[in-house]
Amino acid sequence: MTRVITRKVVQGLYKRTGTARVDADIAASFKAGDGIRARNINPTGHTRLPRYIRGKQGQIAKDHGVFQFADSLAHGGGKQPQHLYSVRFTAQELWGAGAPARDSLYIDLWDDYLEPHDADA
Amino acid sequence: MTADAHGDADVALRVRALESLLLEKGLVESPAIDEIIDLFENRLGPQNGARVVARAWSDPEFKARLLANATDAIVEMGYEAVQGEDMVVVENTPRVHNLVVCTLCSCFPWATLGLPPVWYKSAPYRSRAASDPRGVLLEFGTAVADEAEVRVWDSNAELRYMVLPERPAGTDAMGEDELLALVTRDSMIGVTRALAP
Amino acid sequence: MNGIHDMGGMHGFGPIVREADEPVFHHEWEGKALALARIALAGGLFNLDEFRHVMERMPPVQYLSISYYERWLEGAIALLAEKGVISADEFTARLTALAEAGS
Repeated sequence: MTRVITRKVVQGLYKRTGTARVDADIAASFKAGDGIRARNINPTGHTRLPRYIRGKQGQIAKDHGVFQFADSLAHGGGKQPQHLYSVRFTAQELWGAGAPARDSLYIDLWDDYLEPHDADA
Repeated sequence: MTADAHGDADVALRVRALESLLLEKGLVESPAIDEIIDLFENRLGPQNGARVVARAWSDPEFKARLLANATDAIVEMGYEAVQGEDMVVVENTPRVHNLVVCTLCSCFPWATLGLPPVWYKSAPYRSRAASDPRGVLLEFGTAVADEAEVRVWDSNAELRYMVLPERPAGTDAMGEDELLALVTRDSMIGVTRALAP
Repeated sequence: MNGIHDMGGMHGFGPIVREADEPVFHHEWEGKALALARIALAGGLFNLDEFRHVMERMPPVQYLSISYYERWLEGAIALLAEKGVISADEFTARLTALAEAGS
């Protein structure tokens, strides 16, 4: 795994070789349009699920495909490849009724961060 | 300059200590270090993103490809690099204003915009861009109409986001090279609009 | 982890300070610190997620009081020690030797 980094290696590396995308046939738990709720998790290790998103309701905007999972790789746990989605949250869901009604926030969330949630509307 | 001279001398020495140990252990060769510094100082930067935007403004077919699959369209222009492996480009319109942040660290599309400015990496921007984007935009002198939607993109995973700003009015006669001068780094982060001609 | 790095929605950090005509690097060491960290990543000495996490584990006061590239530098030094590539004692000894040679 470890290798000597030469100038040639650097030139080769600054291509798209570093993609976190994984070429694997893995089923998606959600599709665009599905209502979700971000899980309320509070791991002491690494996570890319920010506090302000946890427990909030949103909607899958797009399925980005299969990506390696940061929470696992930070702790030697392997890639745990799974679908990553662009998820839309309204500003009011995240910040309350005082937030502008039309505004929104999009964030990329892995399957392990999400649970199904049927929106009322 | 934010840190005092003494502090910087101490930090510089720590960098030298790390460098000398990595060299001594044969984990890196000196020219590789220079190669990376050259990449970031001279080859990556918002001049790349500006070319992408100017082309999108001038070529509707390229723009459609860019919005559908930004990674391929950007690679097609030759801007293939680290932290641009998987790109998304979002379009500003009169109805939607997009703004990019990384609240957890400082992720940024290096392939098209180079390294981020200090303010992008700072706590004031990272903390407020998510919760008060309109307030942040006003700090940059950018007012967005109440009728429009402000869309924040928190780039927390490994996709990197860039904004396609609106083409300014009065630029219909301008070619790609002229348009290039109107595209600023900040307009591709979404904190400002492109410059008026 | 619920660390200081998770800043979305926090209040109290004040106005956004911008710099006109900002250079890519403010000091020569910044470019070198970035290069060394990228090299450690490219060489497989640690991965990007481990690298982000070591910076998150910094004491909050330190995280807020040092610059972005100092966080990269201190993160790389700490992680290389954890991985057994460069021990803390080895690093301190080299630092002392360089300081003495330079004075």
